[in-house]
Amino acid sequence: MQTKPVAQFKNIKKKIGKKMIIDDISFEVNAGEIFGFLGPNGAGKTTTIRMLFGLISMTEGEILVNGFSIKHDFEKAIVRVGGIIENPEMYKYLTGYKNLVHYARMYGDITKERIDEVISLVGLEQRIKDKVKTYSLGMRQRLGLAQALLHKPNLIVLDEPTNGLDPAGIHEFRKHLRMLAEKENVAIMVSSHQLSEMELMCDRIGIIQNGKLIDIQTVNDFLDKDEVVMRVTFTVDDVPKAKTCLNQMFQEQETLENESTISITIDSSKIPDIVAAFVREGIRISGLDKESKTLEQKFLDITGGSGIA
Amino acid sequence: MRRMLNLIQNENMKIFRRLSTYIMLGLLIIIVVAAGVISKNTAQQASINTDWKTQLTQDNTTMQKSLTDMQTIPGIDLEQSRAAVEKNIKTNNYRIEHNLPPVQGKIVWGFVTNMVSTISIVSLFVIIIAAGIVAGEFNSGTIKLLLIRPLKRWKVLLSKYLAVLLFALDSLILLFVASFLVGGILYGWSGVGQPYLGYTNGNVTEINMLGHIFTTYAYACVNLLMMVTFAFMISTVFRSNSLAVGISLFLMYTGTILVTLLSKYSWVKYILFANTDLTVYTNGLPVAKGMTMTFSLLVLAVYFILFNAISWAVFTKRDVAA
Ligand SMILES: Nc1ncnc2c1ncn2[C@@H]1O[C@H](COP(=O)(O)OP(=O)(O)O)[C@@H](O)[C@H]1O
Ligand SMILES: [Mg+2]
Repeated sequence: MQTKPVAQFKNIKKKIGKKMIIDDISFEVNAGEIFGFLGPNGAGKTTTIRMLFGLISMTEGEILVNGFSIKHDFEKAIVRVGGIIENPEMYKYLTGYKNLVHYARMYGDITKERIDEVISLVGLEQRIKDKVKTYSLGMRQRLGLAQALLHKPNLIVLDEPTNGLDPAGIHEFRKHLRMLAEKENVAIMVSSHQLSEMELMCDRIGIIQNGKLIDIQTVNDFLDKDEVVMRVTFTVDDVPKAKTCLNQMFQEQETLENESTISITIDSSKIPDIVAAFVREGIRISGLDKESKTLEQKFLDITGGSGIA
Repeated sequence: MRRMLNLIQNENMKIFRRLSTYIMLGLLIIIVVAAGVISKNTAQQASINTDWKTQLTQDNTTMQKSLTDMQTIPGIDLEQSRAAVEKNIKTNNYRIEHNLPPVQGKIVWGFVTNMVSTISIVSLFVIIIAAGIVAGEFNSGTIKLLLIRPLKRWKVLLSKYLAVLLFALDSLILLFVASFLVGGILYGWSGVGQPYLGYTNGNVTEINMLGHIFTTYAYACVNLLMMVTFAFMISTVFRSNSLAVGISLFLMYTGTILVTLLSKYSWVKYILFANTDLTVYTNGLPVAKGMTMTFSLLVLAVYFILFNAISWAVFTKRDVAA
């Protein structure tokens, strides 16, 4: 897999009125990867994506796509970018097919075969000749994806794309993005306010809060079990006793108790020690759950524990 | 260039895939048919008793008499009035000699000429299209997926403007064809070959009728073009369909009144509506003294460029956060 940057965000700032909505964000999205852009509502995800598409101006900074500047060389920069910004609003009085023809004409070199190809790719063959106003939200998302893929972009940017898709649709969608990234070396950037969704789909995740990029993490990094600190939840028969035990072992770490569970954030290599200690104390363990903690913890801090679905 | 044509084709598709467009064009046809039926009925009543040659001879006698009785009235140019009456007499004589019945009303071209006033209805419809073509994309949110294509914004805007003008052209052709057909069906086709009678340097001249009608259309379209460009600007600047229709129609219908009210001020000549009727330079009087065709064309050009420059500046610079 190449790690050629397709999109480069360089010290992007956006000020509206006196408010700094995007404050000095820099990152890159590489060919062949799915980059997750994660942040609570109002963090600035859509604003950043709008700047990438040239829909709003940047107060400072620069965005390059395939080496071309969005600000100074818009047509060359945008020609291989496809995407959806917030809801994929299309012409409701036109059929799905006419909508695609409409966008295809704007590139000038898209064949009828290519249009049919993306239609079957997103599974809209049955309804493509119907007017968009008769489409369900899920079908509109599919049509949105179709227009994003039409011109074979090498950068696909999707703003909260799974809104309105059913679980089966989301699964299919994920598989499809994965295929594009791996087989066609497309760079994909997906924004979301849901960590769970991002973890399943992305290679790297950037976390944005209040217009600032807080952290960028590789999903593989924290799935790598040796190094990583994670939250471990034990289901035990005697929670108070387990708490005493854990507090003795890890004085500096807080525990979180429930009726029948106790959680602690520790290095995963310590799990065998805890199990041994519980057995010694006669505490019966009926369940053990590990969660990769680092990212989620950060995200929980950001969202105040409310943003994860 | 090809993609510009594609863009125009797109805009055209968006105009003609909507029911409202066909309702407007249908209304236009209904208006022409209705006007034809009404004028046919009234024209018949008037023409029962006299044939046109007798009528014209009578008219000429009256006018000859008034020519000799004419006196100097303060504020009215005697020479000018005389010339106007002479023109009418000579034209009538020419008609009688060459067996050319008057165009007004009773032959196909008369109806087509009368229907030129319907261009104000066409203006209304084109204003509605112009008002929606930019604002509509913002209201529906489709502007986002429109502007993320490899085409600079001014190209998208230009395609929209050209599509509006194309729609105006379509509507005008429809109006012409409809009034020609209705006129022909109601009054017969016998007058089709008849020329229009012009008058230059005291001589009656025959002018190709089609050419004359096109000139009449062209004069009437000055106002249309300006108001449509204005509506397009309002639509772009305020992204509001109804505001653009409202302001444009208001100005279109009050503009001339406004000019009349302000006619005592010398700066009235710089108002757009004092310059939209260019026929005053061939038959009539301009609103203010010292106004010439060139002056009016210049004023029109300045407004035209101004409206388009504002649309262009706002559309290409504005943040799209719809
Ligand atoms: N046109 C605007 N004027 C003022 N504030 C805005 C405007 N657009 C967005 N914002 C603010 O910018 C912040 C980021 O918004 P947005 O990018 O939509 O967030 P996200 O997509 O991450 O939910 C929000 O606080 C929002 O209120
Ligand atoms: Mg958003």
